[in-house]
Amino acid sequence: MSVPWTRQAAPVVAVAAVLAAVPLGVGDSPYQMRIATLMLVLACYAVAFNLLFGHTNQLFLCVGALASLGGYLSVILVRDLKLASLAAVGLATVAAAATGGFLSYVSVRRGFGVLFVGIVTLAVSLIVHNLLLGLRDLTNGETGIVTRGLGMGLGDHPLKAYYVLLAVMVASLAAYRWLFGSRHGAALHALSEDEVSAELSGIDVTRYKVACAAGASALVGLVGALYADLNGFISPSVYAVGHVDIPVLVALLLGGMRTLLGPVVGAALFSLVDELVRPFGQLTVLAYGVLLVALFLLFRQGVVPVVQSALGRRVPALRAPSSRTAAKEEVAGGTEAGR
Amino acid sequence: MGVVLDGLVLGLQLALLSVGVVFVYGLGGVLNLAHGQVAVAGGLVAALLLQARVNPVLSGLGGVVAAGVVALLLDRTLLQPAYRRRGEERLLLALILTLGTSFALDGFFTFRYPNVALSLRLAAPSVEVGGITVRTASLVVGGLSLATFGLLLVFLKGTRLGKAIRCIIQNEAGAWLCGVDVDRARTVTLFLSGVLAGVAALGQGFFSYLGPDMGPEFTILALIVAVVGGVRSLTGTFLASLLLGMVNAALSYWVGTYLTWIALLAVAVATLLVRPEGLLAYWP
Repeated sequence: MSVPWTRQAAPVVAVAAVLAAVPLGVGDSPYQMRIATLMLVLACYAVAFNLLFGHTNQLFLCVGALASLGGYLSVILVRDLKLASLAAVGLATVAAAATGGFLSYVSVRRGFGVLFVGIVTLAVSLIVHNLLLGLRDLTNGETGIVTRGLGMGLGDHPLKAYYVLLAVMVASLAAYRWLFGSRHGAALHALSEDEVSAELSGIDVTRYKVACAAGASALVGLVGALYADLNGFISPSVYAVGHVDIPVLVALLLGGMRTLLGPVVGAALFSLVDELVRPFGQLTVLAYGVLLVALFLLFRQGVVPVVQSALGRRVPALRAPSSRTAAKEEVAGGTEAGR
Repeated sequence: MGVVLDGLVLGLQLALLSVGVVFVYGLGGVLNLAHGQVAVAGGLVAALLLQARVNPVLSGLGGVVAAGVVALLLDRTLLQPAYRRRGEERLLLALILTLGTSFALDGFFTFRYPNVALSLRLAAPSVEVGGITVRTASLVVGGLSLATFGLLLVFLKGTRLGKAIRCIIQNEAGAWLCGVDVDRARTVTLFLSGVLAGVAALGQGFFSYLGPDMGPEFTILALIVAVVGGVRSLTGTFLASLLLGMVNAALSYWVGTYLTWIALLAVAVATLLVRPEGLLAYWP
């Protein structure tokens, strides 16, 4: 790679530094700390969904279901099998990864388009939701499970919860940055533009899609499990499509698909909007819907690409790590060096 | 026997919902995820008219027309940008737009009319037909659905516009080349799908009640049937509806509603896995 790794890592480090400073400002208020932590949860989901939908065209409308798999499994393993909480979280992550990978494999094998993947995963989401409601012995149905004492105690330590989530998010951003700085990034760009051409030029499309789905699902499962711990309580509705998938979709569109920082910026803006409309109760759903329509119609690019083009060449490190912009950066870097 | 009749009538209800979705999908290349909310809009209008002491028949008609108008508005406004694209891109854009619309409508209904519900009571709860006791609601809903489908069939087979619509389903570009006004036919189709959904909402009102939060349930039921239909023709969807209606009635009679939902969803997923070329596949 001709782009030096320090410059590649710069935006990730910058985001980590800014977000690490947040508790200094709001650390005194448990309520604001909670919002900040939930923002990180949403950002992690959005990073995963960006990889799924943005880069590999897999409209996984089962982010909430995968998260609930991680959450419920980690809690039940500790409660019923007396597993160590870290091992339970690990197993839950693996289970989510396997599920996501399997769904992706089946979809790719059957040649499903975006629409079919969306329908299948939505149906899977609803099945999972109904199972969680129905398997009362295991999940307590609608009442949910109080997770206090069944995890790593993130619920009692808001600061610890925040930094654990931040670490997970920064790690996922770093992995994303690394992925798109490597040759795999070029392959992913090729297949997101045209899968047939990508396959013809020797890229194993199936393997890439399944690997991305498994990786993203692992992240979702892990964060779902951590969420179960820090929230102190889980029920089918906290992982429902309307509570997870729709916010994730809106946040990603708001921030900007196929960008490094889009999911994070989108999650932050979404949390802000969500706080503003919260007093109006049911209107939040209305706001999500209007936001989704307006964004997709008028602002499909998202905030990050718009800001990037506005900043232009001044801050090249902010640019998306796409192969095309990377190439442009090389050219720009060359001319700069020439001067 | 009662279960079979219930299943048949439920199947007709499902058909009313899903034929609209399939129709719009086949003709416009758009999967309307706000379909259930259109039905709820019709039901709520009917309920509000009834509250205002309007004649029940007129209220029902008003609700049905209102559902059609909501679908029509959706077509004339939000879906226009989608129609300008083709194939997969159109599908995706419309999918997200209608998903957003469905949330917006859901939020609006539950916020503005949380306590409005459509519940139509008939004079006699049950009647004796050929030796068995039947719920009057079943008979009325069955008759209403059959009459609606009869009218739809007459429209499709008997009128020029109906023929044009069937042409477009077969080949949009070809129909356009033959001078068919594709845009107008699409709008008419959206309106019809709304009307069918409105009738389904009335049926739900006869059976039990229709609340402002039932949109997603309707949409998902319509999607399941559309997926399981797995055939090109409306007849296929119709048969799938009747089949699923019977299965649904039988399962909820013997097993319980919670497992019924899972079974229906599982059937849909299984159909997609085994026969992905199913109903939804005939749009390229």
